[in-house]
Amino acid sequence: MRDIFFLLFLASLLGIAFKRPFLFVLAYAYIDIVSPQRLSYILLNSIPISAITFACAFLAWAAVDDKRDSRFSWRQLLMLLLLILCGYTTSNADFPVEAAHKWDWVWKSLVFAIFLPLTLRTRLRIESLALIMVLCASTIIVTGAIKTVLSGGGYGELNLMVDDNSGLYEGSTISTIAIAIIPLIFWLARYGTIFKPDWRVRIYATALTGACLLIPIGTVTRTGLLCIIFLGGLILWRSEKRILYGSAIAGLALVSIPFLPASFTERMGTIQNYQADQSASTRLEVWKWTLDYVKTHPTGGGFDAYRSNSFTYDAVRTEGPEGNERTVRERITEKERAYHSAYFELLGEQGYPGLIMWLLIHIISLVSTHRIYALYKKRTDSEHAWISPLALALQQGHLIYLLGAVFIGVAYQPFMFMLLALQIGLSTYLGRRRKEERAAPIFPSPTATAESTAA
Amino acid sequence: MIDTFSILLSHGLVLIACWRLLSRPELDEEPHAAPSEPAQDSPSSDA
Repeated sequence: MRDIFFLLFLASLLGIAFKRPFLFVLAYAYIDIVSPQRLSYILLNSIPISAITFACAFLAWAAVDDKRDSRFSWRQLLMLLLLILCGYTTSNADFPVEAAHKWDWVWKSLVFAIFLPLTLRTRLRIESLALIMVLCASTIIVTGAIKTVLSGGGYGELNLMVDDNSGLYEGSTISTIAIAIIPLIFWLARYGTIFKPDWRVRIYATALTGACLLIPIGTVTRTGLLCIIFLGGLILWRSEKRILYGSAIAGLALVSIPFLPASFTERMGTIQNYQADQSASTRLEVWKWTLDYVKTHPTGGGFDAYRSNSFTYDAVRTEGPEGNERTVRERITEKERAYHSAYFELLGEQGYPGLIMWLLIHIISLVSTHRIYALYKKRTDSEHAWISPLALALQQGHLIYLLGAVFIGVAYQPFMFMLLALQIGLSTYLGRRRKEERAAPIFPSPTATAESTAA
Repeated sequence: MIDTFSILLSHGLVLIACWRLLSRPELDEEPHAAPSEPAQDSPSSDA
């Protein structure tokens, strides 16, 4: 039944895309985020829908889309260089079979991120991609949130429809993404033109935000909790009503504590006492191992180079009844532990050149999006009011991702590359708009002149 | 049951959004924002 539903859904989506070729791009974004082939049982697994849709999107862009407005930015060039580097390290990888397996999806993620900004030529395209990304992520978020409310969830126990715990369906990753899209949800609810702001949109946006906040609780991920706290800080930082929002957030946090499942509060308690926690100790050991590894392999070891690691460390924990606890030192040996951090993932796999390129992409994006925010902050006329809040929402989501990325290996996460592509698209779109506005008219109208000088 | 609800809700909204995009010409072509254009405040330039 589910197979037939997905098949009909995709058929309708691709069918209407023939009328508006940009919809192929949205359809590919949908397939990349939701992975319907993983949710269905037989039918879709046997069809390479992802490759077909990307081919349609690219051909449609190449054949009929207006390319006069398309710009190739420095960030896209850096992504292209990173793609070439990844290809090179894969061909010389420490573990060629595993590296080839990861390369298989990473190159698609990068190619789509390089291609995507070329298609984001209009405001509506930027909005529609943001909307589709949020709605697609909501497929996983809504189910996770309802299950959390009903069952309380648990680390690795919350069933997010797919068993293999990879991509967006992995607990820590969806926690980070769920929090990162909250600013975007608010932007869509306020400035959306596809679903215009009304009471239904507001109710849905509020409910979805609640669902997003429930995901770190349901998946019991400490990274998610840190992201929530960070989001609270970011909102207060940019808000003019700091005291009001600050008290509201603090009140909400206090009220919610009694409702949190015991598994959540127990696990969050281990943030302070990282020595007792094997998962945190493992991270630190892997990071140390990576730093040692790049001393001898400065250009990295290709995808999955962590598989050669092995280390022994002492974990300290207390046990026994209260008042009579004793400290137990335990010797733990671990092998083939993943990086658990995007920064170390890049460093270990692509070496210093890869890490520098990746960091540059993110830093340039943050700076560029911040410039857009500052530039359009005072332009509150109906034509420009949406720009500065969108830049802020994208920047906040990006910062949350960069925080989550400290603790999870999401360096090539396709969803985050789409968020980057949105920022590049916004930046090139506005660059073109400003250029048009600067074009000196022969007989400027008084209102137009006033507006262009405000820029 | 919960999975089905979540899939139906999000996919329904995606389809409605795409359907609405069909009737929006400014998806592909925006009126150029050159200052020489007199119709600065027309509804179409607001998109």
